[in-house]
Amino acid sequence: MALLEVKGVTKQFGGLTAVNNVDMEVQEGQIVGIIGPNGAGKTTLFSCIAGSHVPTKGSIKFNGTEIAGKRPYDICKLGVTRTFQVVKPFANKTVLYNTTVGAFAKTNRLDVAEEKAMEVLKLIDLYDKKDVPAKNLTLPERKRLELARALATEPKLLLLDEVMAGLRPSEVAEMLPVIRKINSVGVSIVIVEHIMQAIMNLSEQVYVINFGKKIAEGDPHKVVAEEEVIKAYLGDEYVANSH
Amino acid sequence: MIGYIESVINGILMGSIYGLTAVGLTLIFGVMKVVNFAHGSILMVGMFAAYWFITLTGVNPYLALVVVVPLLYFFGYYMQKIVIKPIFEAEKHVREPITVIIVTTGIWYVLDNLALLVFGAEFRVAQTSVTGKMVEVAEMYFPLAKIIGTGITLLLGVYLYWFLKHSRMGKAVRATSLDREAATLMGIKQSRIYNIVFGMGCACCGVAACVLVPFYYVYPTVGVPFDIKAFVIVVLGGLGSIPGAILGGVIIGIIETVGAQFMAATWTEMLIYAFFLVVLFVKPSGLFGLRQDY
Amino acid sequence: MKFLSNVPTTHKVFAALVLAVLYALPLFVTSPVMLQIFILIFFYAYLTSSWNFVGGFAGVLPLGHSAFVGLGAYTSTLLYLTYNISPWIGMIAGGIVAAAFGLLIGLPTLKLRGAYFALATIAFAEGLRVLVENIEKLGSFEVRGPKGLLINLVGNSFRDFQFLSKVPYYYIILTMLVLVLILTFFMMRSKVGYYLAAGGEEPEAAEALGIKVSKYKLIAMAISCFLTALGGTFYAQLVLYFYPKSIMGLDMSYEIAFIALIGGRSTILGPVLGAFLLRPVGELTRIYLGDTLPGLHLIIFGLVLIIVMRYQPRGLVEPVSKWLTAIFDRIENRRRA
Repeated sequence: MALLEVKGVTKQFGGLTAVNNVDMEVQEGQIVGIIGPNGAGKTTLFSCIAGSHVPTKGSIKFNGTEIAGKRPYDICKLGVTRTFQVVKPFANKTVLYNTTVGAFAKTNRLDVAEEKAMEVLKLIDLYDKKDVPAKNLTLPERKRLELARALATEPKLLLLDEVMAGLRPSEVAEMLPVIRKINSVGVSIVIVEHIMQAIMNLSEQVYVINFGKKIAEGDPHKVVAEEEVIKAYLGDEYVANSH
Repeated sequence: MIGYIESVINGILMGSIYGLTAVGLTLIFGVMKVVNFAHGSILMVGMFAAYWFITLTGVNPYLALVVVVPLLYFFGYYMQKIVIKPIFEAEKHVREPITVIIVTTGIWYVLDNLALLVFGAEFRVAQTSVTGKMVEVAEMYFPLAKIIGTGITLLLGVYLYWFLKHSRMGKAVRATSLDREAATLMGIKQSRIYNIVFGMGCACCGVAACVLVPFYYVYPTVGVPFDIKAFVIVVLGGLGSIPGAILGGVIIGIIETVGAQFMAATWTEMLIYAFFLVVLFVKPSGLFGLRQDY
Repeated sequence: MKFLSNVPTTHKVFAALVLAVLYALPLFVTSPVMLQIFILIFFYAYLTSSWNFVGGFAGVLPLGHSAFVGLGAYTSTLLYLTYNISPWIGMIAGGIVAAAFGLLIGLPTLKLRGAYFALATIAFAEGLRVLVENIEKLGSFEVRGPKGLLINLVGNSFRDFQFLSKVPYYYIILTMLVLVLILTFFMMRSKVGYYLAAGGEEPEAAEALGIKVSKYKLIAMAISCFLTALGGTFYAQLVLYFYPKSIMGLDMSYEIAFIALIGGRSTILGPVLGAFLLRPVGELTRIYLGDTLPGLHLIIFGLVLIIVMRYQPRGLVEPVSKWLTAIFDRIENRRRA
């Protein structure tokens, strides 16, 4: 059984269909990418899984439990945690405090939560900054804090929303091993991303979304060669020219 | 029966004036998401200004509008610019601008107690050409000052509606209320819009003050009962909705006067609060409010 | 004492010294007027610390806390007058009643924008006051409407929570304050504290981390209302006569919020600092200038509030604690050298 099973998910806003009948699967231990041009519906699909939106139709099963329509905090308790594209740190609190908030998801004791938080900060290479207020961090550091906080909830599945958006190429290059490291400790990952290089590099399986529909899926290197995908990204002319 | 009709109409008349006192509050909240607790005190300032103008010159009370409304506009404009703006700026990324709310409470304390120091605690009544006059319609009697007040309320409501929908400045105001950042990107100077909106909210208090003075006592804490009523009214009508504020006022007015036929006045006050809490439970966006904004 | 391990020694010594001085104070200060001023400072510091659970840590603005003071005072006093139940037991009953009302108000409003909560708490407080003013008799309880309740003097009796001297009141309220501060200290270092801070600052991010924000805000509201009501019983026993306007008027609610914001919300010592600054100003101007310049203390409150919010929006506890820390550091260094 797949860890995450998305079946026929549709999300409509008034007359607009943002996500149209999408199927998707994540196996345990996988890194799965969702790509697509701007406004394709990736983030809406993502929000449906994370509980920020209630899908109009379809089912989302995590570990066999239906999570469609559940609230974010309940979904988090089941083992699915998301990050935000626009990072939302608790700005006046320290890095350690921020991460400890996440770690309280699995314990009621402060010392246990703090220990867990420090462990995560070490894994994510943010331990040196543990006493710095979040508002004084640089953007790449804030993005990592966002990861640390989510990881501290001990998720089985981590949903990353454009965690590399706004970073310089060199900073992206530093982020990739961090995400791999998270994966290597047994966390499956769904990653929505704009930056192709990052997705190609990380994921074993990608889903391409355009106009709310899934237009391709599979091995990232094969998928990007598909005509539909090139069309979606670059427009019809490029496909014509390449022939 | 005729007694009930009379009290319903009286409720509508007084209620629309309550609505008038609440319009400025809802306007400011709609744009800045700040509940201005000094609202009643600004009404009080306007009432003292109108009272002294009428008493000293002896002219028709509604001529006071010409003086009091601009006066309060500038009062509000500069109060926002000098006192509120710096505090608002420091908190602009916070979802709930608590500090600003509490500072308006501070302004309220300062204004009310300054008035107490300067004018003393006594109740004053302006003697004007409409004070105490009644109009008879089919054996029912209505105070002339309240009828005029209702007319002015409706005119102001229509004007504000037109202003926000069609004027250039009104469009800038609405854009700012929808999305501060986006409006700034479109070249709208947010802080100036806030000054203007605050000025306009206070100017509405000026209108209400001129309408009230011919038939209402003037004293330093006169704003407090209006303040609390205005809070109830704007939530009833939906925070940010101008027609909602006027209709909310009318509802409160009717509860008061019709309720007074059956029970003591203090019980009707209780009824208003209870009604308010029930609305919060059942439909927190208010009776006419916009859904997205709570 | 493991939880104190990361508090520097000088801080501990200073705190112990301050406590020792406060507990020894009645040995030196015998004037009832002075004691009464201290009692009221502690009383307001206590109320504000209780308010702080929801107004500070949960990040919303309750402006009707006098309602809960009133619920506490009325519950314990009515139980005492009608069934001769000791106010100490009535105190707990009052707390439970207040917490229940707090939950009732919080349930629909804590999910909404903060302005709704602020307005709802005001409407609740005013509505409750008007209601009490309208009730003469409630079952077997003589509520006596606007006339209020009078507790008969029985002389010194712990069971009846009555003392002829101010000193016992001084110790009771000081101890209540210390206990609520200790509770605050532990709350800030607990899951509830972390979750409240997170939910108050970034509700969306907090929910994604598994926090049911509205549930924790309700917990804070219930704690806050419970504690506030205990203060109400204390006040009733201190003054022995109260009426709706004196114990559940909005002035008290606003003063609590003023003290919290001037001192510093969501800090342990902010409410205490705020009460020590504002209360004496209020008492002294009222005593000495009240006749010639009525309302002067309220003008001062308003101006202080505006100025502090302008230059120290997080309250005065921040600069004061920085200043104290600098002194402590110097002492610490000298001690080591």
